[in-house]
Amino acid sequence: MATEIQEIDLKTDEMIINMGPQHPATHGVLRLLLTLDGETVKHTEPVLGHLHRGQEWQGQNRTWFQYQALIDRVDYLSGMFTSWAMARACEEIDGTVVPPRAEYLRVMVSEMNRITSHLLWLGTYLIDLGAMFGFPFYPFREREKLFDLFEEIAGQRMMFNYIRIGGVVRDPKPEWLDKLKRFLDEFPDRIDEYETIVTQNPIFLKRTKDVGILTQAVAKDYGVTGPCIRSSGIPLDLRRTKPYSVYPELKFDVITFDKEGDTWDRYMARILEMRQSIEIIRQCIDKLPSGDIMGKKQMAGMRIKAGEGFSAVESPRGILGCYVISGGGEKALRFRWRNPSFCNLAILPELLKGCPLSDIMAIFGSIDVILPDVDR
Amino acid sequence: MTDEKPSEAEKPEEKKAEAAKPEAAKPADAAKPADAAKPAAPAAAAPKPAAKAPEPVIPATAGKFEQFLKEHGIPSERLPLSLTIETIAVSGDVLQSALRLLRNSSEVQLDLLLTVSGVESNDTFDSVYHLWSYSNLDELVIKVLVKKSDVPEGDLPAVPSIANFWSAANWHERETYDLMGIRYANHPYMRRILNPWDWEGYPLRRDYKQLVDSLNDKNPHSMR
Repeated sequence: MATEIQEIDLKTDEMIINMGPQHPATHGVLRLLLTLDGETVKHTEPVLGHLHRGQEWQGQNRTWFQYQALIDRVDYLSGMFTSWAMARACEEIDGTVVPPRAEYLRVMVSEMNRITSHLLWLGTYLIDLGAMFGFPFYPFREREKLFDLFEEIAGQRMMFNYIRIGGVVRDPKPEWLDKLKRFLDEFPDRIDEYETIVTQNPIFLKRTKDVGILTQAVAKDYGVTGPCIRSSGIPLDLRRTKPYSVYPELKFDVITFDKEGDTWDRYMARILEMRQSIEIIRQCIDKLPSGDIMGKKQMAGMRIKAGEGFSAVESPRGILGCYVISGGGEKALRFRWRNPSFCNLAILPELLKGCPLSDIMAIFGSIDVILPDVDR
Repeated sequence: MTDEKPSEAEKPEEKKAEAAKPEAAKPADAAKPADAAKPAAPAAAAPKPAAKAPEPVIPATAGKFEQFLKEHGIPSERLPLSLTIETIAVSGDVLQSALRLLRNSSEVQLDLLLTVSGVESNDTFDSVYHLWSYSNLDELVIKVLVKKSDVPEGDLPAVPSIANFWSAANWHERETYDLMGIRYANHPYMRRILNPWDWEGYPLRRDYKQLVDSLNDKNPHSMR
């Protein structure tokens, strides 16, 4: 008896799947609506706002003094930079003169903060790629040492509230500087250690080389900043191109790669930035002048003159801008943040187009997005 | 507390006398009640807060971009708001052509759009564009002012969208729509971005009152 052959149509429709918000590799809560054709991503729609805390609203409803304690939470991995952006915007309006010692201390703690931010990124990025063998504990070891130093100078390990409008809040003791120097002496060896494990690792290279290529045209169109755009060959580093604070007096070069950057380049850019930060901190320690550290009286009823100002600093993720409108009262009329994570995340749909499902986290992780910074 | 604060900001002149008393009771202001009341008076009396800015220092590149736009037949007006950055106001009709020109022309390369922000002042809604350049040090702030009296009852102030030719503006415009309630005409995807899609009201407006207590919402069908 002949068997009857039946033709069955395979379903070849595109499939929409939901990724997140509680995905372990999204560094917070990000939801992606992915349209897949087999394993290939056709379209991505990020759904934001799960961590929206109304930071801009809070800026309008809290006094200057209260709000400067709150903004460390905007980007919890680099609190110094958010404080610094706000302080610079307010100083610009107010005409406050910041003492040189405070400026040097600001640069020092910010560069330390840049290192801690990149270290956390390095550890978690390897987890994103599936390296579950305990690598993250190597960068976290050094991160803890820096946090001990932060605790000593600011009283807090992550939410510093150290950079205030007009200066910084505490003067470090000479022993603190010695401890920092000792850390800087041993840290380059530690970076070598990470690089031994990661940089030329064949698995790592397979996951990152030629994956998620960011072209210059796309990057400019979306307003990407930070290590992402520098690794694509555009030398945009505010510390050099639009120098602020005491950066003109320090010697360092903008790190760029002379081609269109892939995921591995973005990794390498951050490793080089950590090495660069060490040199910057060393120069600051040598040049640190003596004198005052605060140029404006810190008190609960602090006022800023009427006017509007915009300031930007180069945070570990890119240009962090703060747009302040003051009416001369105890509270701001409008606070507006330009968060690098928010702007950099916008390229994700562009980068994911046509890549396989398993590369999503390799690409997403390499942009170094912090979700509280996106959602505010 | 949350209900009181927006209403204070709404009518500072009327409520000032009442507001002075509870403020003095706070420990923060207790030390200087008289001092606190004085600087509040000029701020409340001034129609535009920024108009009180102490005589702006006009930078060396005064009016550079205003002049450039004028040469290409686009009218603009310089605003004396910021101390350091050139700030100009353009009307909504010419916004797109002005931004296209500033971005693409070879003389002026303002090709980095930092932010699009929405600002509510006493009688206008402003859409503010911060432009920088990837290749030089130029900075420019462009404002589109929409008078509150021109906005029809129950409608949103409208500004043309630039997201069609500048992808950076896409999310910023969505955020401004979400929080400040400025509608960007011809935006490809004008939808709330930070708040839930069924949120009511625009949280950064002065007259905003939260309808639902999002922390203690007892409604089991609520999306929040």
